[in-house]
Amino acid sequence: MTATPATGVVDSAASAAAEAPLIRRPKKKAGPLEWIAVHLVFLVVCGFFLVPFLWLLSAAFDEKASAYIQWPVVPTIMNFVRLFTEHDFGRVLLNSLFVAIATMILVVIAVALAGYSLSRLDLRRKDWITYAVLLLQTMPISATMVPIYGLARQLGLRNSYLGLILIHAAIELPFLIWLMKGFFDSIPRHLEEAAWLDGRSKFRALVEIVLPLARPGLGIAAGLAFLAAWSEVLMVVILIDQQDLKTVPLAFYEAMRTQGGYTEVQYGVIAAMGVLYLLPVMVVFFGARRLMVRGLMNSTRGL
Amino acid sequence: MAGVEYDDVWKQFAAQADDKAAVRGLSLDIDDRELLVLLGPSGCGKTTALRMLAGLEEPDRGDIRIGGKSVVGLEPKDRDVALVFQSYALYPHLSAQENIRYPLKVRGLSRAEQDRKVERVADMLGIGHLLPRRPAQLSGGEQQRVALARAIVREPRVFLMDEPLSNLDAKLRVHTRTELKTLQRELGTTMVFVTHDQAEAMSLANRIAVLNAGELQQVGTPDAVYDHPANVFVAEFIGSPPMNLLKATRDADEVVVGGGWRLAAPTGSRSQGQATGDGQLIVGLRPEGIEIAAGGHPAEVIAVEPFGSEVIIDLRVGDEALKVRAAPDVRPEAGSTVGLRAHPRAVRLFDASTGLAIH
Repeated sequence: MTATPATGVVDSAASAAAEAPLIRRPKKKAGPLEWIAVHLVFLVVCGFFLVPFLWLLSAAFDEKASAYIQWPVVPTIMNFVRLFTEHDFGRVLLNSLFVAIATMILVVIAVALAGYSLSRLDLRRKDWITYAVLLLQTMPISATMVPIYGLARQLGLRNSYLGLILIHAAIELPFLIWLMKGFFDSIPRHLEEAAWLDGRSKFRALVEIVLPLARPGLGIAAGLAFLAAWSEVLMVVILIDQQDLKTVPLAFYEAMRTQGGYTEVQYGVIAAMGVLYLLPVMVVFFGARRLMVRGLMNSTRGL
Repeated sequence: MAGVEYDDVWKQFAAQADDKAAVRGLSLDIDDRELLVLLGPSGCGKTTALRMLAGLEEPDRGDIRIGGKSVVGLEPKDRDVALVFQSYALYPHLSAQENIRYPLKVRGLSRAEQDRKVERVADMLGIGHLLPRRPAQLSGGEQQRVALARAIVREPRVFLMDEPLSNLDAKLRVHTRTELKTLQRELGTTMVFVTHDQAEAMSLANRIAVLNAGELQQVGTPDAVYDHPANVFVAEFIGSPPMNLLKATRDADEVVVGGGWRLAAPTGSRSQGQATGDGQLIVGLRPEGIEIAAGGHPAEVIAVEPFGSEVIIDLRVGDEALKVRAAPDVRPEAGSTVGLRAHPRAVRLFDASTGLAIH
């Protein structure tokens, strides 16, 4: 640092100015060996993560797929056809989609209200409540598997969409409530106070002024809730055994289990299932990403 | 349009100690069409008082009335008051036009009526060209105008202003304050204006209410609080430079300031002055109430601050420092000795133990 020693604000400003060129200094040209080494490591790491997906893609289009990666000799879509004809996978996909979307809607409504309340309302012992919510998040869900099963049976929530939706929402809520509380904390209170004084009720002010500004947070919450409900396995396995309510994770589980004993595992069909299982995840990820970025650009300026 | 009354209003926040309530027994009548300024240092309770009037805080005790009717317990939306925030609080996701339109939309006015009113207010404030822009695309001064427009457009019973000028640069602040005063007079709407800036208060107010530590110190016209401060706090808070406060003792009809400077006591102050026991007094003298004159009481010149239209001279009398306002051509040398003479009508007396004015 070239700045002369000084104290206070002037010093930090001077040091920032002195350091700035250091940051922007063009990097020293890497030697060819260094370049090769870095890219080799990249390739190995990428390959490590890509192998399962590679298998999924190659096996899905190969009727003679096995547990090993092999390029299909004759690419075919027969696996997909069999999936829908022999395994009623259309129904399974719709079940999964319905449960995940319903969970997402329920979660967005719940976190909007709960996050706002924790951020704004004057509650006695609010900090206790807030930490209790966080504590819930740290509990491993498998520890409460048995009581959840018993409770669901007594309430008639086994083998029902409602049961799945409620439990999936419950699993995701604590973390997302915290997330949304943070978003609401960052929105100035003056904005909703201004809306109240402009004549709006507290609820309408929340809907018209606060929620539009919290859109990036709600977008993230919606995306995460959908993905979590889409991929959750354990609760599906313990709550659902009725064929027409089966969701994708359960279909996977059964495909591996029942066919393993007597017949050959139909790896091709399982891989096709995997490809279709991943598609909505990709769609949601890219959709939510755009919403998040757009929301952040629009609403956080000028607050 | 309506007057406002605070009737023994108390407010304490949960985090505050019992003796540190935000507002302590505030009673204040604000007339219809009046521009009243709540003035005080930060943390004196002025903003809390305003927020209680707006319905954003509820008083613990006491009553607040608008137009003779109690508003305690009413939601902000039912009070028909408009508040301009220090931060302006424009809705960032709406254009300036939609911001101004919002309170009209809430009231269910027809689209044509909304447009007409928005246009009229935009003309009044000269912001027609800003209407399509988002708040983030506006400068501080422009945002302030849009916030003002949003308050005016709905024609509320009372305007509330929470330091609306403090985020503007000095030049724009002075300009806007003149405009605001004219605007308030033309609209004829009662306005309660909160500020910590005594110059702003003096220039705007019909009356000023000075608050300190949650308690009302004095209410009066700018001239009244300036010329006859009720206590030493008001004396020091209002005026720039503030009133000189000098320790003094009484000697018959005169008061003696440190260093043996004898001043004629204001007539009629004698009996009360003596009644306060030990006779310790504080003499208050505005900087313009003292004149530099040959043959006056000697004082040492510490510094001379020229301001163009006037000169402020820092002086030492005995062990007391004081400031004198003089004509721009009065330029004594620092370190020299000059004579001081106080205008008899400018002398104010305060009780040294209570700080209250002795009339």
